[in-house]
Amino acid sequence: MDLKSNKFYQQWFKNAWTYVTGAILLSLFQIVTLVVTGKPWGVSSTLTNWGAWLYSAVGGQVDSWYYFSSERAQITLDAGFFNDAGSMRNLGIIFGALLATLLASQFKFKKIKSMKQVIAAILGGLLMGYGARVGLGCNIGALYSSIASLSVSGWVFAIFLFLGALVGSKLLTKFFM
Amino acid sequence: MMAQEVLLDCLGEACPVPLVKTEKKLTTLAVGDILVVQIDHSCAMKNIPEWARKEGHNVEIEEVDDGEWEVIIEKVK
Repeated sequence: MDLKSNKFYQQWFKNAWTYVTGAILLSLFQIVTLVVTGKPWGVSSTLTNWGAWLYSAVGGQVDSWYYFSSERAQITLDAGFFNDAGSMRNLGIIFGALLATLLASQFKFKKIKSMKQVIAAILGGLLMGYGARVGLGCNIGALYSSIASLSVSGWVFAIFLFLGALVGSKLLTKFFM
Repeated sequence: MMAQEVLLDCLGEACPVPLVKTEKKLTTLAVGDILVVQIDHSCAMKNIPEWARKEGHNVEIEEVDDGEWEVIIEKVK
């Protein structure tokens, strides 16, 4: 029987799951994350550690930087990449996403459309990275996990995330339409 | 006048650009015309048909290649 027309293949691997299914699974796994690692789910602070390890690998020193000066940050950096739960989880996200597109046979190298797209992507990445650090978290750590931990700060973050998205979409339609 | 078929190339573009381009393009077409939107961003496969069906148009999705789709919209009103 043709796999592509198999009902369960279609249901589980080919068609997008509903938002509700996604929400329930995310909720369950963020609880597992909190219980197992003792820290709420976060993504971008781990990326900052990756940056620190990369910088150290080429001879840089981050010990004296304010951001990495706390004892907890030092312990994480000293323990290294393979002992960091956040790093393993981020790798899991990347490989999991790859696996999902491959199983759905939807993998594609997308062509870059214009120089404008490249500049916007780099600018956007830099702004998001910078914002996530000065905001002490991204939309996972400071929004999702904060709200899940019943913290008011997550809701404050949400309001300004929404305002930022409004400005962003105005800029997007101005420069990309 | 014969109904025409118009192609809209949104390959390599991420959300929400394909949706906004589709909305704009469709306003320039006449009732009965067909708009074929080419996309390779899987969430556009969700939000373009959702929007178009809500507007009352006829929509079909065709998977033309790995990670590449055509959303075919017939303008109804």
